[in-house]
Amino acid sequence: MLVPLSWLKEYVDITFSPAQLGERLTEAGLGVEKIEKIDGDIIFDLEITPNRPDWLSIIGVAREIAAIEGKKIKLPRIKNDLEKNKPKNVLPLTIKTDYKINPRFTGIIIDGVRVKESPGWLKEKLLKMNQRPINNIVDITNFVMLEFGNPIHAFDYNKIEGNIMQVKQARGGEPFKSVDGFNYRLPKDAVVICDSKKIIDLCGIKGGYNSGTFDSTKTIFVRVPVENPVLIRHASQYLALRSEASSIFERGVNAGGTIEALKRCVDLILELAGGEIASKTYDLKDQEFNPWKVKLRPERLNKITGIEIKETEVLNILEKLNLKPKKSAEIITVTVPTYRNDLKIEEDIIEEVARLYGYNKFPKTLPFGEIQTTEIPYFKNYKTDEKVKNILTSCGFSEIYTYSLISERALEGMGINPDKALRIDNPVSLEYEYLRPTLKPNLIKALIQNKPNFDEINLFELGKVYSGKNIDEAKEEYYLSGISNKKNYYEIKGIVEAILDELGIPSGDEAGLTKNIEVVDEGIIFELNYSKLLEKTTNKKIFKPLPKYPPVMEDISLVINTEIKTADIISEIKKQSEIIKNVTLLDQFDDTRTFHIIYQDMQKNLSKEDTVKIREKILKTLKEKFDAEIRK
Amino acid sequence: MEEELVGIKNAAISFILECNSLEELEEVKLQFLGRSGKLTQAIKNIATVPLERRPEVGMLANEIKNIIEDTIEQKYQTLKSEHYKKRKSAIDVTKPGIKPEIGHIHPITHTILETIDIFKSIGFQVADGPEIETDYYNFEALNIPKDHPSRDTQQTLYLDTRESKVEPGEVILRTQTSNMQGRILEKMKPPMRVIVPGKVYRYEQTDASHGFEFWQLEGFAVDKNITMSDLFGTIDYFIKKFYGEDIKVKFVCHNFPFVEPGAEAYITCAVCKGKGCTFCKRSGWVEMLGAGMIHPNVLKTAKIDPNIWQGFAFGTGFSRMATLKYQMDDLRLLTNPDLRILEQF
Repeated sequence: MLVPLSWLKEYVDITFSPAQLGERLTEAGLGVEKIEKIDGDIIFDLEITPNRPDWLSIIGVAREIAAIEGKKIKLPRIKNDLEKNKPKNVLPLTIKTDYKINPRFTGIIIDGVRVKESPGWLKEKLLKMNQRPINNIVDITNFVMLEFGNPIHAFDYNKIEGNIMQVKQARGGEPFKSVDGFNYRLPKDAVVICDSKKIIDLCGIKGGYNSGTFDSTKTIFVRVPVENPVLIRHASQYLALRSEASSIFERGVNAGGTIEALKRCVDLILELAGGEIASKTYDLKDQEFNPWKVKLRPERLNKITGIEIKETEVLNILEKLNLKPKKSAEIITVTVPTYRNDLKIEEDIIEEVARLYGYNKFPKTLPFGEIQTTEIPYFKNYKTDEKVKNILTSCGFSEIYTYSLISERALEGMGINPDKALRIDNPVSLEYEYLRPTLKPNLIKALIQNKPNFDEINLFELGKVYSGKNIDEAKEEYYLSGISNKKNYYEIKGIVEAILDELGIPSGDEAGLTKNIEVVDEGIIFELNYSKLLEKTTNKKIFKPLPKYPPVMEDISLVINTEIKTADIISEIKKQSEIIKNVTLLDQFDDTRTFHIIYQDMQKNLSKEDTVKIREKILKTLKEKFDAEIRK
Repeated sequence: MEEELVGIKNAAISFILECNSLEELEEVKLQFLGRSGKLTQAIKNIATVPLERRPEVGMLANEIKNIIEDTIEQKYQTLKSEHYKKRKSAIDVTKPGIKPEIGHIHPITHTILETIDIFKSIGFQVADGPEIETDYYNFEALNIPKDHPSRDTQQTLYLDTRESKVEPGEVILRTQTSNMQGRILEKMKPPMRVIVPGKVYRYEQTDASHGFEFWQLEGFAVDKNITMSDLFGTIDYFIKKFYGEDIKVKFVCHNFPFVEPGAEAYITCAVCKGKGCTFCKRSGWVEMLGAGMIHPNVLKTAKIDPNIWQGFAFGTGFSRMATLKYQMDDLRLLTNPDLRILEQF
């Protein structure tokens, strides 16, 4: 919101420089985004948090400055006394409302107004706050809204057919033309005012064109309502129609302030447009909107803040905020004015004290006390990730982070049916419509992107993938994938095996490993279900004593049909004796494969005879099973 | 016998002195001192010398052995230093080294790991949670009911709920890692100190400082006596460990529905150290964290008694912390897999 310094100064004396004031207001929670000098005035651009509708008004901001400066606020003098108003001529009007959808309906009829251009001072004020001047009546309603924070709407009384105003909810789909000439279809349950024939107002958001105040208007009905925040929010979101009024109502308007705002408005209308009051003051409500009380225990204040603020200072701060503190026994009771509907519980009052005391005067301490030693729910051990990433980087792979959201095209490119992937209802663009069920498409894209600049490209990502064909089955798991355009299949497999080793997962038993490595146009790609691996990981490392007796090693070269898988031969060899500790493929040339066998007996020294016997058994079995011959 | 020994000595010394390499020297050493070397053999023959002369011949043999060994040692040292000199002169020490091909860890990972280290040192544990989240944990359990205006600041991506039992709008991509507050609070008894790094999603158009997917860090602590001073101290400690001790932190009041009192932390710009630059829009300060004391309603929702327990919570844009640390001027650099970027980390 834009706030001119000159206007603020009408209500409060300001001693701070604009920059100082900006800093103090920000510290107190009223964020000053920009301070600009425009036409000899200073304009503050304020960021108003959703809890403070009062700051959407000049007087609200002036009150905050008064509290910070320790000054009194000077409110505009009200001339008329609407409570005792006795109009000479009374025009007829029936108002029917429903307090559930319209908690308070305050208003009055003024007859004989002259609609014309506003005086310069009024237009200037509106322009400084980015409001377009329209005519004196509309400008006055806007001015008082900006000044007091209560939205006001003026109807052309003579266009209210049947002299009746009825507040109700839209059925949905009704056409509505706003006072500024735009056409809408109303959402169901939007709060509207109807006369005997038509909808004349979209409450809390925009007035209707058919009852607006134009040059020909002679008699007006001025309405100052309290609207239902939720209903206003729904309608304004549905229509994507935001107004100053709707922002205030959504946050919760000052329900106790409608009469004051109406008085101010009537004063200005009588002064600038003439005319006279032509009805009683309507004020339909089913409850009094009085200030309420909140208790503050100084002991609780200290326990939450961690500091001891002197009681006189606490009372002084609360006084400055117009919270009328009363101390009795160990409790301070404050009375909250109706414009502060953000102050409901003790913690809210604690914040008031703390923010005016100054957050930056607090000491900086660390929490002391008991440390939780058991593992928390949802615990994640990032050490494991770090180890895995270190293996990959030491193998030349660089880590990337890509978007979890991908396009339908990317899915189809991987042969995945989009119907089986999780979809976003309102994607930011079709490029980011689906949750990725695999990391592969992004890795391939990343590799291609790097091709113009690099010869060898090795990339990996450890990230979430999302599976399930609908929400009920949705599942998130971490996957670990990598791609390389230069490393060969066995190098990639070796890296994957090294990762499994580090995680304590026997890679030899992962017969499924081969399906995790794929040859694609761009190179070799691997993808592991990392979450599943973590379930199997055995982090405990237990030392095995070194063997007391030396191992015996030998290499056997065999001629075997190349169709037969190396893994099958190795597992067959291992089966032949318990003292075979390891078998690896040393070399392969045409149909000859050389295996390196390590024999190790933990109990004794192995003799030549021991190993020869096993060797014969191996050769015999391999001959029978695979028709293997020893290479001469 | 004596002549033989002296002859061996002379021969050995002349051979040793003529050696031009360590290999030759080793050969000579074997020739004389080896198991079947000349001197070794001669010493064995001492047994044939008449008994009364044996001590004398023995002493001479020992003396000769020592002389040969010393000479070999001296020659060895000379040859070795020559050898090193030669080897060294063959190396052009000014040529660049041959680096092994090592890949690079992503700046987000660096940021996460560094943050975890800092918080571990003050007793925090790390949690990880779902990104596909219910409206309940993302908003309602955090004191943000369905029609709360603060929802406007977190435009949400909704999941397609067709063919499921879920009501439209009830399942979303989490807009904040704060979703883990409710999940953890309802599952464990205080005291607790938790941080949650993770990815969050917003319905937001992408530009240099916004994205629809980015990283956040959530932190919270609950105990009987955790105070606002602890909150300010913890954030101050984290920021100074992360960005350096010369960084200042200041706090302002702010409103978030799940904390009361609420605060926001600004830090002096890590790029210009507060002098004013394009990173901080010339202000010298950067808005860095949202924080506050956990709202009693949040504790109550998780069935924790706010009269006994109290705590703080904070959240920050992790992607922004990373870009500020490494002086990257665009959040999109973090999701760009260009190796020319990655190689710098």
